[in-house]
Amino acid sequence: MQQLQLKRRFVNYLPNLFSDLLKIACVLVFIFPFYWMIITSFKTYGEAIQVPPTLWPKNFTLEAYHNIFSMSISFWQYAQNSIIVTAGVIILQCLIMIPAAYAFAKRQFVGKGIAWAVVISALMIPGTCTYVPIYMVMAKAGLIPSLWPQIIPHGCNVFGIFMLRQAFKQVPDELLESARLDSATEAQIVLRIMLPMAKAALITICLFSFIGTWNSYFWPLVMTNNDKYRPLTMYIERVQDADVGNKWNQVMAANVLLVGPVLLIYLFASQKIIRAFTYNGVK
Amino acid sequence: MAEIRFEKVCKFFDKARIIEDLDLTIQDGKFTVLVGASGCGKTTLLRMIAGIGPATSGHIYMDGRDITDTAPAKRDIAMVFQNYAIYPTMTVRENIEFGLKNKKVPKAEREALIKEYAAVVGLTDYLDRKPGTLSGGQRQRIALARAMVKKPAVFLMDEPLSNLDAKLRVQMRSELIELHNKLKTTFVYVTHDQVEAMSMADVIVLMDKGRIMQEASPEVIYNDPNNVFTAQFIGTPPMNIIDMPDGNKLGFRPERIALSYAPVQGDFTRKGTVLTREMLGSETLYKIDCSGNTYMAKIDDPNFAMGENVYVHVANEHLYFFDAEGQRIREKGNETLFAQLLKTAGGMSNV
Amino acid sequence: MSDLTLNTKPARRLTRKSVANNLFSWALVLPAILFLAVFTFYPLVNLIQLSLYRGNITNPYKTFRGIENYIDILVKRPQFMTTLKNTALYVVMYVPICLSLSLIFSVWLQKARKMNNFAQTCFFAPHLVATISSAFMWSWIFSPESSGIANGLIRLFGFNTHNWLGSSATAMVCVMIMNTWASIGHHALIFLSALKSIPGEVYEAAELDSSSSIKTFFKITLPMLSPQIFLMLITMTTNSFKIFESVRQMTGGGPGISTKTVCMFIYDNAFETNNTLGLAGAASIVLTIILMLITLLDFKGLEKKVHYQ
Repeated sequence: MQQLQLKRRFVNYLPNLFSDLLKIACVLVFIFPFYWMIITSFKTYGEAIQVPPTLWPKNFTLEAYHNIFSMSISFWQYAQNSIIVTAGVIILQCLIMIPAAYAFAKRQFVGKGIAWAVVISALMIPGTCTYVPIYMVMAKAGLIPSLWPQIIPHGCNVFGIFMLRQAFKQVPDELLESARLDSATEAQIVLRIMLPMAKAALITICLFSFIGTWNSYFWPLVMTNNDKYRPLTMYIERVQDADVGNKWNQVMAANVLLVGPVLLIYLFASQKIIRAFTYNGVK
Repeated sequence: MAEIRFEKVCKFFDKARIIEDLDLTIQDGKFTVLVGASGCGKTTLLRMIAGIGPATSGHIYMDGRDITDTAPAKRDIAMVFQNYAIYPTMTVRENIEFGLKNKKVPKAEREALIKEYAAVVGLTDYLDRKPGTLSGGQRQRIALARAMVKKPAVFLMDEPLSNLDAKLRVQMRSELIELHNKLKTTFVYVTHDQVEAMSMADVIVLMDKGRIMQEASPEVIYNDPNNVFTAQFIGTPPMNIIDMPDGNKLGFRPERIALSYAPVQGDFTRKGTVLTREMLGSETLYKIDCSGNTYMAKIDDPNFAMGENVYVHVANEHLYFFDAEGQRIREKGNETLFAQLLKTAGGMSNV
Repeated sequence: MSDLTLNTKPARRLTRKSVANNLFSWALVLPAILFLAVFTFYPLVNLIQLSLYRGNITNPYKTFRGIENYIDILVKRPQFMTTLKNTALYVVMYVPICLSLSLIFSVWLQKARKMNNFAQTCFFAPHLVATISSAFMWSWIFSPESSGIANGLIRLFGFNTHNWLGSSATAMVCVMIMNTWASIGHHALIFLSALKSIPGEVYEAAELDSSSSIKTFFKITLPMLSPQIFLMLITMTTNSFKIFESVRQMTGGGPGISTKTVCMFIYDNAFETNNTLGLAGAASIVLTIILMLITLLDFKGLEKKVHYQ
């Protein structure tokens, strides 16, 4: 019986074999750039630009990383900026979108329709080139030498308001009514009832914000003119050595430092992250 | 028209043994109903016939041909799913002709077939509509037409009526029976509703936990059950089963009970009190407590009141006996034992 | 009492409580609206203003030019139209390829098997990485030196090294490859969750209807996915129109301006060259109009084909 079963299972699997091998091949091709980046960062400069390129470092070395950390530009300064900006954006967005989503979901008020129309139309506008006027506003306000221009403009997360409102709407009104009868303040209602029930939506929104802000290059490019305020995404190009030509091992090392944390988190929480990305707002 | 035979069929899902070593022959041209509670394996068996849920081991034969490893499309069967499974982005016409088109049936023939079967199910005026605009009952008919147009040797149906409202269900039930009479094809029908099984089947196959409990016509299953499970599954309310002092079990159907205010001599009689009374119109259900045992009685007379003392009487010919494992003990071949059991039953009377 | 329940309209009489409730609600939404006003609506208005003047960042309104700027970029000077053409070419190349590959991948990885989950996870990883990082990775891969792995590969087949990012024939294609690599996983994931909503019985019925896998894909799967495909088409098109980071890093717009995109044109005219802020403004408005038109066209044209269940 056992043998019969094994044979049947193998025969049932066979048509998948070719497909699975092809999948592995595709996976290897997809992963290759990461692999290439990582091993280049562990090569010496000489080996990195060697012809033909080696698929595995002959000499494992931390030369590239050493050089980076001993440069005048401080890696930690950039990292710190990234962290502060990302945290700042998430906090600011939560402060703005949670009350707004709550009001739109559960409160009736005069002019609600107009306010909602404003929010919706903001969603429709392709915000392509808003950076130019915003830059000028920030420059006028004297905020350019600081981290504020990277945080404040992203304060209102319209997509977040949308999703959160949808999640809040699914909380039964009776819960709120009984809370109010128990003399709960609005703040308590939001913090104790609404947010816990909208946890999945909130996590998704914050995750998107985190990734978007951590990975943003363009916005800091526009809004900063001093290394002191630049985030990690702009660190990589600083590491290029203009005289000798691209020091690829150093560039890749810097890249590893930027990409590393994200990939590491992904390694451990891939299923949760993927689930967050496919969250469609309905329980 | 085809006979289907299962030979030592097993179905395992990882460690779970759904079906083990099952043998069954589904007769050619008959309306066979596989009935049982959820998880008993009836849908699994059906899907094995279709080929969309292949057996782990064993063989399936159609008219003598081994179809165990044949592709579903090549098995000359058609299936109607519980949730209809019609193609939502195609019109009714396209739904029905999809299979025909794939089999390269020429256009003229396709048109004729569609016209014919759309008329049979009453969808002629809806041929160019999309399923989303039609009701549940109409969608069910699309699924039916799609199946019929293939002119299969076997029709498979997986609880096709369970998503319809009660009235529509009754109507569709009789339509399906008429269809079977007209086409005379082998029908294999799965349901969990024993009333549906009883009313529609030529042969009922009652299943429980992957095993066949009884395979017989509705009359036989009702009047001559093989075991306690069958006796209690078929019939509303179920057969009353009580333990006998010698370890065996005694059973009788609620409608075979006679209630009276005076004791009746002989056979099985017990004294009891009426616990509940449900007047259903043409008959009345009583729940009667007889010193610890509760019996359900279904009789014409509505005049017994709650709390009254009554006598429950069942004639010998309506008594069923089962052994300790629940298997039926019939009179034929066990005359002496049977007489002994009757005596014991009589001894249980407490007039 | 009516102020405590939630679904009735506010009381008609201006009780103190109802006024307080309304004010409180407005206090909740006001920050969001203010931010939107300042950082979404005002810039749009400001861009229109800027497009009517000649100036630069420090002195934006030097001279009034009316619609001169628009005539400049659309007719007189060819640079904007060139960048528009480049961008359009890129979009027309990228969107069909990325969309079809994502669809194919999602159908390929449909069944819930360990191999499929593993593959999904790997394909999705590039999306989490910063675009600038991917640009650097692929710049290194496409390095014109013999030490670049792409060149290393073709040398194995006997070809000479190629200046991937510096030759007008291949530069844009390389950028497209990088962006496809980065986003396939994400798009496939969205299609995958849409595929999950198709009941398995429909596929079984198709199997019984003698439908081959290809036929099932085109006649059943694809039509049922058409809402998601259509939405994806809009987002992909508008997003790829705005491409900036990856091109700037990998090719710098070169050789010449053969890979310069519209957003690069806007950026350069706003920050790099003198007295061209007005041109940047005009270009921004033109781009915004184009994107809105695309979205509208997409909605209208494809709505007919979409089968909403």
